[in-house]
Amino acid sequence: MPRKTKEINEEKNVKKQSKLNEKISALIQNVLEPIEKVVDAEKPSKKSKTKSASTSSTKSTKTTKKATKKVLESEEKAEEKISKKTVTKNPEKEKSTTGKNKKEKATTKKVTKGKEKANKEDKDEKATIKKASKVTKSTNTKTTKSKTTSKSESTRTSTAKSKTNSTEVAAPTIVEYYDLPYKYNQTVVKVLYQNPTTLFVYWEISDSDIENYKRTYGENFFETTRPVLVVYNDTMNYHFEVDINDFANSWYFNIHDSKCDYRVELIRRPVFYNEKIKSDYVYISSSNKIESPNDRILFSTDEPYTVYFRNTKNNHQRKINLPKLLEQLNLKSKEFGFPIVRNVYDLYKYVYQIEDTGEFSVSFTNPSSGNPSSHSLSSRFI
Amino acid sequence: MQQKKGYVSFVLHAHLPFIHHPESDDYLEESWLYEAISETYIPLLTNFQKLVDEGVGFRITMSMTPPLLSMLDNKLLQKKYIHYLEQLIELSEKELVRTASDARLNELSKYYYDRYSNDLHLFRDVYKCNLIEQFKHFQDLGVLEIITCGATHGYFPILYVNEKTIRAQIAVGVQTYERYFGRKPRGIWLPECGYVPEADKYLKEFGIDYIITESHGILYANPTPIYGTVAPIVSPEGVIAFGRDMESSRQVWSSINGYPGDFNYREWYRDIGYDVDYDYIKPYIAHNGVRVPTGIKYYRITGKTEFKDYYNLQWAKDSAEKHAGHFLDSRTAQINGLAPYTNNPPIVLCPYDAELYGHWWYEGPYWLYILFKKIYYDDCNFELITPSEYIDKYPDMQVCSPCRSSWGANGYSEVWLNQSNDYAHKHLHVAGDRMVELANLYPMAEGIKKEALNQCARELLLAQSSDWLFIITNGTMVDYAKKRIKDHIGRFTKLYNQIKEDNIDLAFLKDIEEKDCVFPDIDYRIYI
Repeated sequence: MPRKTKEINEEKNVKKQSKLNEKISALIQNVLEPIEKVVDAEKPSKKSKTKSASTSSTKSTKTTKKATKKVLESEEKAEEKISKKTVTKNPEKEKSTTGKNKKEKATTKKVTKGKEKANKEDKDEKATIKKASKVTKSTNTKTTKSKTTSKSESTRTSTAKSKTNSTEVAAPTIVEYYDLPYKYNQTVVKVLYQNPTTLFVYWEISDSDIENYKRTYGENFFETTRPVLVVYNDTMNYHFEVDINDFANSWYFNIHDSKCDYRVELIRRPVFYNEKIKSDYVYISSSNKIESPNDRILFSTDEPYTVYFRNTKNNHQRKINLPKLLEQLNLKSKEFGFPIVRNVYDLYKYVYQIEDTGEFSVSFTNPSSGNPSSHSLSSRFI
Repeated sequence: MQQKKGYVSFVLHAHLPFIHHPESDDYLEESWLYEAISETYIPLLTNFQKLVDEGVGFRITMSMTPPLLSMLDNKLLQKKYIHYLEQLIELSEKELVRTASDARLNELSKYYYDRYSNDLHLFRDVYKCNLIEQFKHFQDLGVLEIITCGATHGYFPILYVNEKTIRAQIAVGVQTYERYFGRKPRGIWLPECGYVPEADKYLKEFGIDYIITESHGILYANPTPIYGTVAPIVSPEGVIAFGRDMESSRQVWSSINGYPGDFNYREWYRDIGYDVDYDYIKPYIAHNGVRVPTGIKYYRITGKTEFKDYYNLQWAKDSAEKHAGHFLDSRTAQINGLAPYTNNPPIVLCPYDAELYGHWWYEGPYWLYILFKKIYYDDCNFELITPSEYIDKYPDMQVCSPCRSSWGANGYSEVWLNQSNDYAHKHLHVAGDRMVELANLYPMAEGIKKEALNQCARELLLAQSSDWLFIITNGTMVDYAKKRIKDHIGRFTKLYNQIKEDNIDLAFLKDIEEKDCVFPDIDYRIYI
């Protein structure tokens, strides 16, 4: 074939191809748009081999199979952005909001299939097929590379379309896609420490418990009561309350005492009069116990003037008189001859050569985790 | 000759998250391993060898984490690394031609060509693709002590609400170590130095003698350790804790006057991947055409300026030698100051990320080599030691409970628990509880069910990796980290349901077994 004709043909092919690609993406959209529902991942996965939807940077879309993959991929990313646009088949069941911390950053994210499904916790694994709001996020993708395979793929897609329009969801390109579930349907309160002055708590009330409370205290139980966290300091034996709200499912709050045992109770206090609630609160759940970390040098000994030493070879432990131990170091003032180190505080001043041991607190900003996954590290050297 | 008054102990923490994608070549994250091999692991090995050949006595400790060991042992990744080197050699060959008109640049091109060719020769022909065996060799010689880490670098202060999950992290960490090094580890690097006293009993159960903590893990201990960080302490349960020395850390790490910021050292950010003509570099950057670093870097830090001067190998070496001298003098002075205040000779513990040496601080391995030679030959008042040797020599130590701490910014859990990543913790906890539930429900599983239960354990462990939370906080590669949490929790939950319904999808199981092939010998019963 003469070179020119070849080139022209190629050009035609490219044009054809790009047109085809446009068609394909339009088709995919058409197929996906009306579906907008959640399919249990287990069902399609049985039918064919699972494939991972990779997010690692953008990729060349060589076949429409990949293009579809991309749609789902960008959908995954977009999903977080459009979390408020909740997609539900059964509007009655659409609800549930999450909020986060003090800023009340409410995030809504729930996709339910139906009433029965809603109660099932297997919502967590789903092959989601729905409209991707911003389909093409592709940068530098080699669309022109699509070859003949895309033809057959496009036929398949259009077949799928005709099926899906009339009936159920046809198994799309098989994609292994997961999202984290909004709920696990358990009543739980968990507390973790972030640092010596901040605790983090998250909670959840199971659907059955919600029903129970409604049955006991009336349908409007959750409207007539407000959630409160009661924080117990078991070491110093006091407690305080943190007002939260129903838009949240986790919270950060400050504590005043480091190195203390804490636990958190989730309760609800009536806002309006509710004749069924006799006391001024209803207990919901209690958290794990947690000890807040220590945040200072204690300068303490086990007993006054006593420290314990252990021989780690034979596990023999013995009591040592601290002043005697310090005496052995024989640290005396050169001028006056009296001992200069009488306790741990004195010793620290010499070991760390500082006047005020309070200075230690500022030293703990060492960088961490400098593995190549972190690109922040080298910037600190510039 | 000065009398030896104390000890210095170097601990390098070598870790990378488990990244293995047989399904695609497009994951840029896989190159973290290749970069670390070329820039850190091989340079460390060659410098250790040089020291041994020259008869220099030295001691160093390295933690090699189970995911890193699994990746170094993975045939596919070894093959991909060779391909990575071949590509780099091809590129540096082209560079020899491209830079022919500039003598200084051409010299550097030649350096890279030689260096990567040598890496390939060493890796393929000398090491037979087995880097673990090389590290083991130095451990057997007695100059290197290798310690283990949590199975997938799971951060204990978050996981310990279900103690069985930290027990499993420790158990698999110890088992993986035994598999590769043929003996039990004496020490463990707690992931992110995250210490919780609740882990002590499990550390003892698996025969761990010592841990490394951040400085305040010791300083804020109860009761207060009288010698501070310059002597180890033992917890009531019998776990020995060494604390990071603050002064030496600052010297290497400081953003203002830390060694790696020297103007003669190689500039990490100026890479031909970004600098040269697009069409020329295209075959060597990301498959989708995005410019990424290639590893060939021609500039030095030069100063706080946009203008960068060419890298000069000799100047960089001179700076490394100057810094080694400075470090030696500083430690000598420090130990002179410390010695009168301790009953046993003081130990100055210097823990760093291994990847700081070579990857971030290109001249780091050479600096270590020069420093170790200086310590051996020069007149100094201290010796190098490993924590194990110190414990054996001076078994007497104060009994204190170390403080809950980590080596993350501000010293506690803020890096791994903050508003950017706190959504993940609930899922990690639930999956942990479910794994324990499964193990107790089916303690005697056989066949496919056993396989599925083992895979569940792998998925859980991979989800728990502290790296994902760290990356999310850090703001780079966030999508990848989030996807990894979703994938592992998703796969775990799917299998969990299938196991409980007794309806295991074999094709699915085989597929994820191939992808997440970490810990081939795992036994899910560790969760009972």
